[in-house]
Amino acid sequence: MKIKEIMCREVKSLSPEMSVKEAWELLSQMEISGLPVIDKEGKLLGMFTEKDILKKIFPGYLDKVGRFVYEENPKGIKKKVSEFEKLKVKELMRLEVITVDEDTALCEVARIMLTQKVRRIPVLNKEKKVVGIIARQDVLRGLLGDFR
Amino acid sequence: MKKIALKLFFQLAISLSIGILGYKWGLNFSQALSLSVFILSILGTLFFWDFRLSFAFLGTSLLLLTHTIDLENLIKFSSLEVILFLVGMMVLIGFLKEGGFFAWLVSIILRMRKLTATKFLISISIISALLACAVDEVTSIIFMVVAILEICDYFEVNPSPFVISSVLATNIGSSGTVLGNPIGILIATKSGLTFEDFIFKAFPLMLVSLAVTILIIRFWYHKPLEELDKKIKELGANEILVRLISVPPEKILKVALGIFGLTLCFISLHHRLEIILGLAPNTILLLVPLISSGLVMFWRWKKARAYIEKDVEWWTLLFFLMLFAQSGTLKYTGATDVFARRISALVGHNLIFLTGCLLWLSCFGSSILDNVVLVAAFIPVVQGFASLGFSLRPLWWALLFGACYGGNITLVGSTANIVALGLLEKEKEIRIKFLQWLGIGLIVGIVTTALAWYYLAIIYPKM
Repeated sequence: MKIKEIMCREVKSLSPEMSVKEAWELLSQMEISGLPVIDKEGKLLGMFTEKDILKKIFPGYLDKVGRFVYEENPKGIKKKVSEFEKLKVKELMRLEVITVDEDTALCEVARIMLTQKVRRIPVLNKEKKVVGIIARQDVLRGLLGDFR
Repeated sequence: MKKIALKLFFQLAISLSIGILGYKWGLNFSQALSLSVFILSILGTLFFWDFRLSFAFLGTSLLLLTHTIDLENLIKFSSLEVILFLVGMMVLIGFLKEGGFFAWLVSIILRMRKLTATKFLISISIISALLACAVDEVTSIIFMVVAILEICDYFEVNPSPFVISSVLATNIGSSGTVLGNPIGILIATKSGLTFEDFIFKAFPLMLVSLAVTILIIRFWYHKPLEELDKKIKELGANEILVRLISVPPEKILKVALGIFGLTLCFISLHHRLEIILGLAPNTILLLVPLISSGLVMFWRWKKARAYIEKDVEWWTLLFFLMLFAQSGTLKYTGATDVFARRISALVGHNLIFLTGCLLWLSCFGSSILDNVVLVAAFIPVVQGFASLGFSLRPLWWALLFGACYGGNITLVGSTANIVALGLLEKEKEIRIKFLQWLGIGLIVGIVTTALAWYYLAIIYPKM
């Protein structure tokens, strides 16, 4: 089975100029953790996820410090949250995005998801435009349906 | 691309020219080739930091291919004992981190009561220096910067002066014991100097240099310190900071503290134990981290592989291994004996003058080069002075102090500087400029090296 048979073709996306606040509200409404960022021509610019927001708010050295418990909310974090409305999606989005084309086999997408630890992958056509998106749930649906 | 090609051209041209000059100067072909390859690796660290291992691998292969050194001697000179010591320490530090030891230290700094700017400066400087003495400069600086950023965030002041102060203190502190810096253990193993020697000869000078550095910083950064004092008065006590983080007092933290304490204890007693047990010098010193990390991996057997794979910096260690082998080749071919003879003739066989030259040369050299690279280059030369009747001890100290203190001069002078400034840029988007660092760095670097010079020329001969 090829992923073009099961991928979601109605791709909701974000614009790079959108504010982070708006983008987060959209993610929240859709109850998903991330969306692709696409320009006016439909070309993929990056990926924006809830994790990127958290990474921006919290210091990058958390894992370097080792085990500890936050007993209070640090002042610096409150400050970063307050500055959030000024930020745009393009400032936070991840630029290195794993993509696949429409003719990729379902098992290959599953392999990529497992090895690269990604939840959803944008699907590009030959002109490098986003034509769909495939999530872990789609892969499972395709696999269980295919092998049943 | 043009810039890279140009840098590569310069790297090759300089290494080749130095080799040819050496040949004209009296080196034989093998000696000149080993010199060229070593310079190629050193320049690789200067021009292409991310490719340094690639240059080291290729250079070492070239030395083997051209019969400049054989495999047996290459392995002998690669200083496996130092690499194993560092592996053991890295596993132990990984375990300490996992146990929450460093987070606990950060929480202690955050809990400072009745804070004033001067108290803060003195505290972070002393803790930075002592922590560098106990673990190593790179591990130490990460936790110090974390604590400084949190405190500066709370009081809404620019953290740069305090981060720079902590780095300066860390580099000075790293000369205090064999554990402070990879060059400490490297010098100890090559010279036979013990932990006790470091405590009696290097640690007191480190403390004096630290005190002088704090005074210089107090004067240099008086405006940011006044600003912090003002903010402390304005915002009141650091109540949120006091409670900000905690480390659960679980078994792993207690065991981590116990193992670390015992490791430090045995390392400090290694010389006595070696005499009692009839072991070769520094055997216990090298064994203790291996025993401690062995015990850690036995107790935390499910995580043992992660300690080795994630906490040990194989990239750096492999580079050291190749670099030591290449500098050993200079000794093997006899090139360093030629240098030692020529340098000795130049300084008129005067030990005090030679010590001063080596001290200043290593100081300014390590302001540009990684200090491990510099020390690895000088070790066989220093060893070459033994056959000329020189007492080597002051020369080893000169190498240690010069390489550690010189690291303060520029912002690329030591790994601690690069790590701290990287964190500052990533977390606060503050980029320290070369000249901004050079002002305070040069003063501290020169004053502390001058102190070391006075110590080695006047005080040390009477000890």
